[in-house]
Amino acid sequence: MMTALTKEWLEQRRTHRLLIVCLILLLFGLLSPLLAKFTPEIIKMVPGGEQISQVIPPPTIADAVVQYLKNLTQFGLLLAVLMGMGMVSQEKDKGTAAMMLAKPLGRTAFILAKAAAMGASFLIGTALAAAAGYYYTLLLFEALPAGGWLALNGLLLIYFSVYAALTLLASTLNRSVLGSGVTAVGFVILLALIEMIPAAGKLLTGGLLGWAGNLALGSAEAPAWGALWVCLGLIAAALTASVLVFRRQEI
Amino acid sequence: MEALKPYIPYLIPVIFIQLGLMVFALVDLVRRERTKGPKWMWAIIIVAVNIIGPVVYLLAGKDES
Amino acid sequence: MSAIRIEALTKSFGKFRALDGLSLTVEGGAVFGFLGPNGAGKTTTLRILTGLAHADSGGAWVEGLEVGKSAEISSRIGYLPEEPAFYPWMTGIETLDTMGQVHRIEKAERRRRVDEMLEMAGLTEAGKRRVGGYSRGMRQRLGLAQALIHRPQVLLLDEPASALDPAGRKDVLGMIEGLRGQCTVFMSTHILADVERICDTVAIIDRGKLVANARRADLIARYAIPMLALEADDVDRLNKLATEVSQMGWAHAVAIEGRRLTVTVKDLAAAQRELLAQAVAAGLVVTHYEQVKPSLEDVFLRIVENGKESRQL
Repeated sequence: MMTALTKEWLEQRRTHRLLIVCLILLLFGLLSPLLAKFTPEIIKMVPGGEQISQVIPPPTIADAVVQYLKNLTQFGLLLAVLMGMGMVSQEKDKGTAAMMLAKPLGRTAFILAKAAAMGASFLIGTALAAAAGYYYTLLLFEALPAGGWLALNGLLLIYFSVYAALTLLASTLNRSVLGSGVTAVGFVILLALIEMIPAAGKLLTGGLLGWAGNLALGSAEAPAWGALWVCLGLIAAALTASVLVFRRQEI
Repeated sequence: MEALKPYIPYLIPVIFIQLGLMVFALVDLVRRERTKGPKWMWAIIIVAVNIIGPVVYLLAGKDES
Repeated sequence: MSAIRIEALTKSFGKFRALDGLSLTVEGGAVFGFLGPNGAGKTTTLRILTGLAHADSGGAWVEGLEVGKSAEISSRIGYLPEEPAFYPWMTGIETLDTMGQVHRIEKAERRRRVDEMLEMAGLTEAGKRRVGGYSRGMRQRLGLAQALIHRPQVLLLDEPASALDPAGRKDVLGMIEGLRGQCTVFMSTHILADVERICDTVAIIDRGKLVANARRADLIARYAIPMLALEADDVDRLNKLATEVSQMGWAHAVAIEGRRLTVTVKDLAAAQRELLAQAVAAGLVVTHYEQVKPSLEDVFLRIVENGKESRQL
């Protein structure tokens, strides 16, 4: 397992995956509070925006949190799919998986090391985004409650992990990178459709993010423990399914 | 617009990261022998599609072997 | 105990039967040539032995351990697929070191083995470079190095030299020949010259079935049709001789190529007694006479052709 992890982590660094995750998440950590601050002014500059801007209240720290959640979830999702889709399928397609797995390297370790390496990249990226977002929000608005902010980012990391794990499953199910990408997007759409059912939405990533927003603003409203458990369950289920499928697969 | 002037310096790191990412992707593109799909297409995507362009190229456009 | 034992292995891909009850035994220490036309089931057999693919029925044992039941096998074998693939972002040294780690070789020994393997593969210089920039021949040699890093008892090679240019092929075959006595080599190929060069035992498969399995020399003796050839300058008389000879009881078939007459014979002793005498009687001045040594290619073609005929019947 250690060997597989070492290899995966080296791959995250050498193929610039770690760098890209860090840069993109950091970028939106910085940009989100700025966007919150600038939005009313930008609307003013749009022709006819003058009237609308009259009714928009001045931006608050809540807008900064909303922007942060919106941007990071969008781009985190994109990163998870782009990074994860080739992880297993490309190794099967190119033949590197066959080289590794004809040796005493377990298939379970092979999959779990990938999940762990991708998780580590997102952990570091999220930490950078959190620090940047906290600092810029402090400068542009006011200080966020540190505990709540930490909790928001923890939940954000779980959100990323859900899609990373689902993409890893998609990559295990396919032999081509393109096919994996299509399957992964299919999973994302499926999840989004389920979220549209109000009762189910509360128990999925939507509920998780709503709770995260409240926590960041120091509010204890609408805790979504159910959503947290469902998301953790989804991660576990996707990884278990990947391992079970991969163990039976011909490489 | 006047109200935002004091905040302009905050944008510097943001612009720095965006440009850095674009330059990094372009340098990689020029040096690489093969990419998935034509090079000129990637060049346009990297320059024209802000942030997402370089990211998609760096994560999915390279052909390593 | 045999190094490899395969019993009644079957494997289908949809309607295509890749393996159709293949049984085979490879003795320890052999350099074993696993021969067959493209699509005969060679790669499938190797993939089953490595555990990468699963047989529909039948069984296989490596060093007495059953494939699919014992995880220990992967430590005993070294495997080189037809197109070895590496992580392009690793250097040659890192690749071998990672493979050594997977085999749980401890650090000091691993470093030593990596150096040894690089030297054997002629990659000492290139070891520090990324594998992404290696040529086909370099990748093949690196592939052989990674298959040998843990001193396997059984080496499984899938077409190790087939895709290489003559120089690259000579390098790789030389490396394989150097392993004689160190481990059992089981190599698949469709190129007979390679087998003739280094293998001591040969199995021929066609359409997923074993059609011949013997020591190389025995195989040639058993299956090759004896052939005599003579050369003479007088083409008219040579043609006349050909007609006469084709009516003899000991002759199987007669062919003329320029000034060379070849006769495949049914009764070698009789042919040897009579052919030259007839040539002299026909007034020919024989410039060259020989008994042609059949190549594995002749054997191979004959066996595979026979297989086709018997299937048509």
